[in-house]
Amino acid sequence: MVDRGPEGRAVVTTLINLPPDAPIIGPGVNLARLNEEIAGRVLSPRPPLWWTLSFGFSLLLVIVLVVAMAWVFVFAVGTWGINIPVAWGLAIAEYVWWTGLAAGAMLLSALFYVTGSPWRPATQRIAEAAVLGSLAAGGIMPILHLGRQGLFYWNFPYSTVMAVWPNFLSPLLWDFVSILCFVVSGVFFYYIGILPDLASLRDMARAPRKQFLYGLAALGWRGSARQWQSHRTAYELTAAVMAALVISVHGVVGLDFAGGLTPGWHSTQFPPYFFFGAVLSGTGLVLMLAIGLRHAYNLQDIITGYHLNILAKLVLVGSLLLVYSYLWEGFGAIYGSDIAVHTMYMDRLTGFYAPAFWARLALNAVIPQLLWLPIVRRSEILLVLISLGAVIGMWLEPYMIVVQSLHRDYMPSYWGEYWPTFWDWATLAGSVGLFLVIFLLLIRLVPVVSMFQMRQLVEEARPQ
Amino acid sequence: MNDETYGIIGVFTTPSAMTAAAARIVALGFRRVEAYAPCPVPEAARILHPQHSRRRWFLAAALFLGGVSGALWGYFIQYWDAVLSYPIIVGGRPLDSWPAFIVSAVEFGLLCAIAAGLFALLVTCRLPLLYDPIDNAEEIVRASRDRFVLFLAANDASFERGIVRRLFERLDAERIEEVAR
Repeated sequence: MVDRGPEGRAVVTTLINLPPDAPIIGPGVNLARLNEEIAGRVLSPRPPLWWTLSFGFSLLLVIVLVVAMAWVFVFAVGTWGINIPVAWGLAIAEYVWWTGLAAGAMLLSALFYVTGSPWRPATQRIAEAAVLGSLAAGGIMPILHLGRQGLFYWNFPYSTVMAVWPNFLSPLLWDFVSILCFVVSGVFFYYIGILPDLASLRDMARAPRKQFLYGLAALGWRGSARQWQSHRTAYELTAAVMAALVISVHGVVGLDFAGGLTPGWHSTQFPPYFFFGAVLSGTGLVLMLAIGLRHAYNLQDIITGYHLNILAKLVLVGSLLLVYSYLWEGFGAIYGSDIAVHTMYMDRLTGFYAPAFWARLALNAVIPQLLWLPIVRRSEILLVLISLGAVIGMWLEPYMIVVQSLHRDYMPSYWGEYWPTFWDWATLAGSVGLFLVIFLLLIRLVPVVSMFQMRQLVEEARPQ
Repeated sequence: MNDETYGIIGVFTTPSAMTAAAARIVALGFRRVEAYAPCPVPEAARILHPQHSRRRWFLAAALFLGGVSGALWGYFIQYWDAVLSYPIIVGGRPLDSWPAFIVSAVEFGLLCAIAAGLFALLVTCRLPLLYDPIDNAEEIVRASRDRFVLFLAANDASFERGIVRRLFERLDAERIEEVAR
């Protein structure tokens, strides 16, 4: 849709019209204030109190992670609750959860750059910092889950040294390749986006050490018209590729399950199903973080009600997509002729893990429907609660798919239950800590909103 | 004109003033003109670098070739593994099980496309750059903050110090500064 802004300037908005009471940037925002508020915070030698406290708390959680990892290394994966028949537990569920958060958040950044959405600059960095944190937290999970963690590098295809080749027919190896590609290209994409802002920081820094380090990172970027032209083209093209990459990467995570014969996994809908979930949880995560940061950093006129409204609608879109997948999941199981799948699905509805099924249905499919109401989209507390619910619901979903499906396999003699142990929960808490440490570091070292794109918005909105 | 001078910059407070000045300067026949700004100013860039489509094509070709060659490379690693180096039948599938190899090949191709995009961006922006005489200008740091700077190079055929200074004055430049080489 194309709206006419107050100055008669065409503003392309995706999905919605501009709400009249919520402008995309506050009226008081200008270049000087942007520099002072955004870059000034990065360059100030002392971080704010909330940052120090949350960073300290996250470091504590990372210590928990290190201890939990050491415990698993020494006493092996049996210290988690996993056993036969449920040999995949929280680690795999959380791997799906974290990579889903990363894929959804990266989609927000990449896809909506391609569409030219004017709300992206304010939320892009938050999303990308969340991507890199989530990928680190998710990436360690499958490695921890390996029985012999020290041999994880056998996944790399370099036989000349090892005389051992990985089996490329296995979806688990596709997964390894995909996530590795996502991590590396995510870092490249992030770097393309922050390059001009690093140059701004270099020029504004007073301390010689910061001038040197930001100068090194900025590679001599000067912001000439020629550089901006190239940057724009390169950024658009890589964003388009990035959008394709995140969709396919999380689709490959779904293929891990679709490629298995277990009832409840063996379904062709898994790649889009997982991706739909990623849209819901990734957007929910960014929405939560954006609301937190706009208060912590006083960014109410940069991350405005407009942004929250858009993100809330995207959470709703993710939820509706997921409802479609849920319907198919149930329809296929009940209408299909496979008695094992039917038994498995009935057990989902009524069995040992039924609370997880109904909770995820409520959190992912039912409660987000409140976002149809504009009054809910204006309430930050409700938005945080609904997003948090969606993120938890998307944790329950892989938990249920992984664990419940395995505990109702084909043969009744093979049925058994799984319950996470203390070390499962410690690993979860620790991975949250790892995510927070990386996220907090990135928003401290790099401007929390994309400065150069905000400047362009401000200049275009200024009456000529 | 002497060899010590790299050029002259005029500092403007708004992108529209800089764009208007750029249009005027190009119309007067100056060719070695560059704009420095804290954010993209597409109209000024179009005036100063109308030949941008060549760089666009270069970037697009870099991404495309990076992606295609990455995908081929990724496929070949798997082919080398499964067919040439260590042929072993897994699950009764053919050695060259191409449908299974497509997945990793595509993901690796997308990674190579993005890597090629970053590389081509650095090439077209001439980065990394250790030294640029424009940094000798005091006001240039404002161009990454809140000012819009036009630069006229001294090696332009039409360059004459007095004329350029008067030109910037007439165009309402906030500050005018000579840049040493």
